[in-house]
Amino acid sequence: MRRWLVGSGEFVIAIGAIVAVIIVVLTGLALLGHPPLTVLTTWFQGAAGSGTRFALSLQEAGPLLLTGLAAAVAFRGGVWNIGAEGQFLIGAVTMVAFGTVLLIPGPGWFSLPVALVLSTITGAAWALLATGLERWRGVPVVLSTILLNFIAIAVVGMLVQGPLHDPTTTAPQTALLPEHVRLPVLVDGTKLHLGVLVAALIAIALWLGLKRTTIGFEVQVVGLNPDAARLLGMPVGARQVLVMAVSGGLAGFAGAAQVAGVTGMLSGSPISYGYAGIAVAMLGRLHPLGILVAALFLGMLSTGASGLERRLAIPHDLGDVVQGLLVLAVLVAGGISARRALRPQAEGT
Amino acid sequence: MQSPFQRNDRTDGAHQRMISLNGISKRFGDLVALAEVSLTIAPGRVLGLLGENGAGKSTLMNILFGQLKPDAGSITSGGTALRLRSPAEALRHGLGMVHQHFALVPTLSVVDNVVLALQSSLGRIDRAAWSARLRQRADALRWDIDPTALVGSLAIGQQQRVEILKALLALDQAGSAQRTLILDEPTAVLTPQEVDELLPAVRALAADGVAVVYISHKLAEIARVCDEVSVLRRGRVVHRGPATETTERLTHLMVGSPVSQPSRQACPAPSTAPVRIAARDLTIRSDGRTVLHQVTVEVRAGEIVGVAGVEGNGQVPLVQAVLGLLSATSGSVTAPGKIAVIPDDRQREALVMPLSVAQNLALRRYREVPFSQSGWLSPAAWNVHARALMASSDVRAPSPDVAVATLSGGNQQKAVVARELDGDPAVIIAVNPTRGLDVGAAAAVLNRLIAARDRGAAVLLIHSDLDELLAISDRVVVLHNGRVSDSSWPVCDRAAISRLMLSGSPLEPRATGPLNVGAEATS
Repeated sequence: MRRWLVGSGEFVIAIGAIVAVIIVVLTGLALLGHPPLTVLTTWFQGAAGSGTRFALSLQEAGPLLLTGLAAAVAFRGGVWNIGAEGQFLIGAVTMVAFGTVLLIPGPGWFSLPVALVLSTITGAAWALLATGLERWRGVPVVLSTILLNFIAIAVVGMLVQGPLHDPTTTAPQTALLPEHVRLPVLVDGTKLHLGVLVAALIAIALWLGLKRTTIGFEVQVVGLNPDAARLLGMPVGARQVLVMAVSGGLAGFAGAAQVAGVTGMLSGSPISYGYAGIAVAMLGRLHPLGILVAALFLGMLSTGASGLERRLAIPHDLGDVVQGLLVLAVLVAGGISARRALRPQAEGT
Repeated sequence: MQSPFQRNDRTDGAHQRMISLNGISKRFGDLVALAEVSLTIAPGRVLGLLGENGAGKSTLMNILFGQLKPDAGSITSGGTALRLRSPAEALRHGLGMVHQHFALVPTLSVVDNVVLALQSSLGRIDRAAWSARLRQRADALRWDIDPTALVGSLAIGQQQRVEILKALLALDQAGSAQRTLILDEPTAVLTPQEVDELLPAVRALAADGVAVVYISHKLAEIARVCDEVSVLRRGRVVHRGPATETTERLTHLMVGSPVSQPSRQACPAPSTAPVRIAARDLTIRSDGRTVLHQVTVEVRAGEIVGVAGVEGNGQVPLVQAVLGLLSATSGSVTAPGKIAVIPDDRQREALVMPLSVAQNLALRRYREVPFSQSGWLSPAAWNVHARALMASSDVRAPSPDVAVATLSGGNQQKAVVARELDGDPAVIIAVNPTRGLDVGAAAAVLNRLIAARDRGAAVLLIHSDLDELLAISDRVVVLHNGRVSDSSWPVCDRAAISRLMLSGSPLEPRATGPLNVGAEATS
């Protein structure tokens, strides 16, 4: 069944957009005196020129994949969760709390998974606040999730400078997580951790879940046409709650995995994996496997951009610029193809 | 209404101003949408364009309105070739169109909608001037229109008047010597009395020198309003002649084969038959309004109970209450949990447009074996099921895998009916089940309902097409203003039912003007 998830035309859209953006960016850099071929090879060497560089790209792709999946699951279910950023932070701060202050007794193989699960739950709970506000007070999720992001940033900032503050420093940061609650590193010399592998497995599980289970089918129907779903007797409300919980949980897990696998602590510096996840989801056309590829691509874009900065003195912000252009291009291409589908055909009636 | 409207046979100078379509062809991939179609549209005359869904009517009109480019053929006006590359260009040549789906903003007033559509520059908005022009046009058609009324508060029939006036003002503005107005299925959403009010206005337009193209698949209207008729079938003009041809012959020409009109002897179920749906003294208040007032309706096994009424008189709350989506303020509703529903708006309420035909056909049964087993779907079974239903219900699609959105309206509706009537449900609710369908597809849907009734199903039929409603119902109740007529009416008493729909009383002739009736119908 070709149309089971998203039509194959979707991937043509994504790839066309990527090629178009690459051409535009290379042309721009050529005008600034950087030969396109040099830029491309330098970028590729930075992104995947060696095992270590590629592992770094994968490490960067991990949180993008999880927040991308978080956004995609919600969007597929028709729930406009723009709050992955806040849910990510809540998950991260939960991980720090259970790793440094509220210590979970027992060996690492026990306390690490427990802390990760608790972080997933707090991420989901933070997301469900928005669902609750919608259900009982009629607040649109698209608004409340954005606003809850700001609240999450404030709450985390308060915790980082308050109960979770590292007493050995004046910098606004938490203490480091002890070794036994860190995610195992897979490649020496990098911080590519087990969480990234888990994220890839989650992508495959979500793909199968959406494609092959009755619940996944219901989520799609509810997302595409809630009125019809209600008339057909589907549990619309329950599916929306499920989708929001999974979405928030994935973002929370992403935050916890980033702390337990890469940073080891939280500081006051801003992170934007939550918002980037929306970009990843759009680029992957809301398809779990498409998002897997999109996250890898954006991970490589990011590490490759730092290579460009080192070798060619092109600011690494270029990576963010390209990411933004990509999302715009994909949305424009998607809009064009949708409009083409709506053009008067053989018979309009 | 039996009197044929005054025909306008004035042809002086009309010849030079005729619009001709000569040998128009259009293909979409392998599909031949139009094959060498030729038509002539003359000022002062109403040309009926008759054809089933998919016959090419809309494609032809989209070409005439500059929205599609023909592959071959030409369009000439009084002998000079026209180049129509956009609706704006078509308008400059005096070609206006009123689409089946209105392009109105419900939260704006009538005059603001006109300004929005017609005032191109940023200059000052002269509402008074626009209102005056609007009134002048409306007066010529004997329409009473309030330019300050919010469009959303108007009945559908009045919204359509706004659309027609908008198109006329656009033609005035374009300043072309000749004016052609294309009406695309203008009565598809109208009530019978709104139709009765529209048709004289169409004649009045023709009398004023406008060339009118009247697209429809309703033969009775074509006979009442058109001077001549062209029948399109599969992209070809198969007939051209006076509009007075017999209905049977035109239907035959349009469909390509004889069609038996669904009708049957009305036969209310005996009082011993079990009651399947029962609303007793049902009152529902919603948003501070009483939308249903002590309504009592019973549907027994083996009968079709028709609910007649102008739209917006309580039909929607009645259906929602029976389906358990709306709770009663007082009174009671008893209905089984499992009801087959053919809803009013198939695209919004019944189908998931981006999903495949197979997925849509499985929407009722995806939780059952073999469609799924312990939570895991079995797509192969969906395909087998879909092919069987498509064959038995004549749903035409290239394969079960294509998106249901790519099907024609008639095939979409047949898919909904196939899914809902699959497994012989005991209780069926159908709301405007033939809306937007051509004769053949409508007959197929109505025959399915009759067949379901004959095998013992209880059918609640809510339908704005009174002729069809009376043709297949065993009993009829009339909803007016949230109240139901005392008891059921024999289906033969069409006049009494019409009066009940309008005034709530079977006896007294209506004293109020037609527009007041329209306003009452607003929900």
